[in-house]
Amino acid sequence: MKKLLVSDTSSHGIAIGPVYLVREEKPLISGAAPENRSEMEAELAKYDAAVEKTVKSLTSMAAGNKIFAGHISIARDIALRDAVKQRIYGQGLNAERAADGAVKEVSRMFLNLDDTYMRERAADVTDVGKRLVACMQNRTENKFAGLKVPSVIVAESLLPSDTAALDKNLVLGFITEQGGVTSHVSIMAGNLGIPALVGAAGIMDIVSDGSVIVMDAAAGEIYVDPDRKFADDFLKRKKRVELEQQKYADEACLPTVTRDGHGVKVYANVGNLNDIEQAASLHADGVGLFRTEFLYMESSRFPTEEEQFNVYRKAVERLGGEMVIRTLDIGGDKKLSYYQFMPEANPVLGLRAIRLCLRHPEVFKTQLRAILRASHYGRLRIMLPMMVSLEEAEQSLGIISEVKRELSAVNIPYDSNIPVGMMVETPAAVICAGDFAKVMDFFSIGTNDMTQYTLAADRCNKEVGGLYSPLYPSVLRSVKRVIDEGHKAGIKVGMCGEFAADKRAAKLLLGLGLDEFSMSASCTPAIKSALRGMDFEEARGFACKVVSMEHISDIKAALEKSYGGEV
Amino acid sequence: MVSQKVKVRNVSGLHLRPASELSNICSQCNCDVSIICPKGRINPKSVLMLMGAAIKAGTEIEVQCSGGDEKNSLDKIVNAIKGGFGEKLIN
Repeated sequence: MKKLLVSDTSSHGIAIGPVYLVREEKPLISGAAPENRSEMEAELAKYDAAVEKTVKSLTSMAAGNKIFAGHISIARDIALRDAVKQRIYGQGLNAERAADGAVKEVSRMFLNLDDTYMRERAADVTDVGKRLVACMQNRTENKFAGLKVPSVIVAESLLPSDTAALDKNLVLGFITEQGGVTSHVSIMAGNLGIPALVGAAGIMDIVSDGSVIVMDAAAGEIYVDPDRKFADDFLKRKKRVELEQQKYADEACLPTVTRDGHGVKVYANVGNLNDIEQAASLHADGVGLFRTEFLYMESSRFPTEEEQFNVYRKAVERLGGEMVIRTLDIGGDKKLSYYQFMPEANPVLGLRAIRLCLRHPEVFKTQLRAILRASHYGRLRIMLPMMVSLEEAEQSLGIISEVKRELSAVNIPYDSNIPVGMMVETPAAVICAGDFAKVMDFFSIGTNDMTQYTLAADRCNKEVGGLYSPLYPSVLRSVKRVIDEGHKAGIKVGMCGEFAADKRAAKLLLGLGLDEFSMSASCTPAIKSALRGMDFEEARGFACKVVSMEHISDIKAALEKSYGGEV
Repeated sequence: MVSQKVKVRNVSGLHLRPASELSNICSQCNCDVSIICPKGRINPKSVLMLMGAAIKAGTEIEVQCSGGDEKNSLDKIVNAIKGGFGEKLIN
């Protein structure tokens, strides 16, 4: 039996089962060469047939994801075909080699362009090229074609295009070498309620296709080929955890009140209408973060007011509870296919979120109008991301008032008292929290960015990944400061980062006075249950002690001791 | 040969999706089509060549059509570019 430990986890649950290993295929390309004119014609015909077949399979995928429509044009491209033809007739190469070479040449051309967006299109060209070559070799391009029985998926990394074709019912768990707790796989697994461990360096070396894996996502433990007894014990543990989960789910509809009568809200973070369904079915108290990016990223142009209004209205009506809509948070690592971002040396510190919205007030106003109109049909709040200055806050509030006046002028109904609050995720907002609290109706702490900006450590960078922890005294004291300043001004303070879902931190956050915990819907029942078992007064004393600690090691030890598990 | 100059005004320039649409339109034309842009002369029937030219919003380009149905083709192509492929237009 081999053991692997993963230090950063954001998932929970136990999985046991056979490994399904996703190998990055490096296809062997035959060196056979056509010898005469008719063989060359046959090679070109082979290429043309591969194009048609690829276009056909892409067409069926294009309905679900617009990026594949672009891939169809690339597969059909005449310049690409000319380059392939030239290689077959001029250089006497076979179709596979010719296609491989032509694709590499084109993708090199893209890599040499100045425009970041265009450079990234090299990946699209390469993706299409892989499909074409796979098609000529009669290989299937679906990495999960061999997945027939429920398995633990082990991969170097997984991209959205990889998982689009994945039958989620056959997934017991995910383990990837690369990626962080905020990567695509983590978020997808969180939404599906499947255990996932990412950043499991070395896993690919210790498993093979016949291996059996046991994983405990919450503890960050992976065991390969365990002996019988060990596996049995784990299965028992899994049963127990499942029973626990069931109990949490059964109690989820009860209010979240501590043993001594202190009430808090446990909200869900959602990124699309499916998540809303899940939040509603798990009885989340509401939605503390509605990410609106999907409306923009899945469209081929800026979504219209009407499109947005319909989604917001549908969401809040389905949910039945309160919903906090965050205005567009794009830029940084999130780009749009139809908006040209200037090249930025440091996009995380660049034109993003509220900065972008204030730069393009027409885009911002379209969204605000849609939100305001939807506020007539349910309880909505507006949340502004990435604030660093009071000027930005005042300017945003000014635009909101302007949109309200425009709606009133044409007698369109909206909630005139709609609360407007902000994400607190920059050190600037933490330091000036008292000033912001005077003009805002609520705060929501975004711990992912707050941790990254406070510690100046990139959460996706393995080299400094160890520095990225919200448990550092600097981050915890920032959280405390924001809560205290908010309460001083009489406004509610929530948290919508991954940290809010961390069971080990729940007592600390409760004790600091956090009013609203917002997280993946699948985590809400367990956090509710944990909070119900706590005593607010005791948690306050505990939190007071913990935030005064000067070393992260002491903080971890204190949380470990109080939680009774490993931190 | 007929030709006309036109400014690309859709916000994202000729990125993947608009370039795909434009190359589809050009491919359906029964004539030779060229686009003269700051990077030189390209064949817009190829989406890869179009994208490789990295034509940004605000750039003026020249469309040339020759042979076959050149007059109608030119109108069709120029109108498509002016229309902005369903995107927001810059001034």
